[in-house]
Amino acid sequence: MRFLTHAHNWQGDTGIAHRLVEHVGMSLLATVIGTLIALPVGLYIGHAKRFQFLAVSVGNLGRALPSFGVLALVFPFTLRYSVLQFGGLGFSATLVALVLLSIPPILTNTYVGIDGVDPDVIEAARGMGMSEAGVLRKVELPLAVPLIIVGIRTAAVAVVATATLAALVAWGGLGRFIVDGFATRDDSQIMAGAILVALLAIITELLFAGIERLVSPKTSTRVPFGTTRG
Amino acid sequence: MRRFRSTVLGASCALLMLLTACGSGGGGKSNNPGGGKVACTGGSGKSLTVGVSAAFPENILVAEMYAQVLENCGYSITKKLDIGSREISDPALVKGDIDIKPEYISSELAFLDPSAPTSGDPAVVAGRVRPLLAKKGIALLDYSPAADQNVFVVTQDTATKYHLQTMDDLAPVAGKLTLGGPPECPKRPFCLIGLKKTYGVTFGDFKALDIGGPETVQALDAGAIDVGLLFSTNPIIQAKHWVILQDDKHLQSADNIAPVVRQSVLDDTIRTQLDKVSQALTTTELTQLISRVAVQREDASAVATSFLQDHSLL
Repeated sequence: MRFLTHAHNWQGDTGIAHRLVEHVGMSLLATVIGTLIALPVGLYIGHAKRFQFLAVSVGNLGRALPSFGVLALVFPFTLRYSVLQFGGLGFSATLVALVLLSIPPILTNTYVGIDGVDPDVIEAARGMGMSEAGVLRKVELPLAVPLIIVGIRTAAVAVVATATLAALVAWGGLGRFIVDGFATRDDSQIMAGAILVALLAIITELLFAGIERLVSPKTSTRVPFGTTRG
Repeated sequence: MRRFRSTVLGASCALLMLLTACGSGGGGKSNNPGGGKVACTGGSGKSLTVGVSAAFPENILVAEMYAQVLENCGYSITKKLDIGSREISDPALVKGDIDIKPEYISSELAFLDPSAPTSGDPAVVAGRVRPLLAKKGIALLDYSPAADQNVFVVTQDTATKYHLQTMDDLAPVAGKLTLGGPPECPKRPFCLIGLKKTYGVTFGDFKALDIGGPETVQALDAGAIDVGLLFSTNPIIQAKHWVILQDDKHLQSADNIAPVVRQSVLDDTIRTQLDKVSQALTTTELTQLISRVAVQREDASAVATSFLQDHSLL
């Protein structure tokens, strides 16, 4: 713990504060991009009931894909093209690995959430004259939101934990302390890095639990006006 | 550094053995006893076991050279070229499981006495390691000019652009350059600390990559870093016509190759023959030979034979 309580370890470009910002920034960007890719695809598959095998197989295979392997494959590739060299050495390779990591849970949960909406409810909505877009936006999406948020939460927590790999390809983030500590046999530095990553993952988890509570439909718990509890 | 890499290379070699024969395998006897063109007697059937410090291509290659020149003199040679690390090969040598192996003087010194001061002068390093080995009944023979050590490397373009030949040349331009090396570099005397102290070099940026491995090579090749820390016998340096910056002030500890032999088996013929091999071997030529084994997949034994014949040692 001594590493964490020294003020000078928190300051500067290689300090904890800066590494924390890098880590959060990288994780946030990867999760947002992953959501932007997986959410529309999941909504379409769930609503149209087509290409379901895609959602299932991407979900299953994607989760088996080791991020470290992706990173090792993508890193030399990103070096070859100057257009991929934004954000500093190792940034784009890490981003690709993390986006790929975030897609499966979001895609699967979105698809399952939409697919699981009671067909009678959808029929009723159509019967009221709602358009397909209206059905998706006003009926299916609100009912599926809790599951979708769980998908994004799963992705975000995994991304926060895995963003440590960035340090293996010369980029920053909290993984720097783990990798550098390992190389110099500095156990307190490794511990500090590991603790910070774990804390960040827990905070992410709690944050999403809060969001989930806010956006969940409150239908079932509300007591209709004029009735009395007995 | 070297010890760590040896372990990594040893492990990858072990992995390779599942697919192909790595090196020439352990425990086998050579096919051509005493069949060389160069006459040598003195072995008179004495049994010797030649081992390796750790089983990676470079060490296996040098061990093959030792085995073949001695076999040519009439020694009965057994080869044990599959030992994984110095942690195993050193005790094996003391116990007599092996009699001879090629070593790296600075790595051996660091292994025997981690607190021993290092030096860029091989004579100084050899002088420090010799008595430590003698206490265990092991003789250190003369070291070769060939060494496998840390070198700072730039591409031909970078060398031309900034007029770089020696480490001293880096000082005025280093602020514009990025160094790539292992993550421990900022804390190590042979790296950032020593660069500043010995050469007055402070790089504009440092990128933590790997220990002379594929990442550093790829990053240097792509121009993502300007200077890379590699090992002197990495064949890629010659293949890409990269420039090794001369370490005039001996920042790197001298890791020259030298045979270590059990005192109880050492005789004049062994000493003479192994001295000849050490003298013939240079870093440049060793690098080319490693490239034939590791890149072109030639048999280590055959490559060793052709080297010895080229130098009229066989």
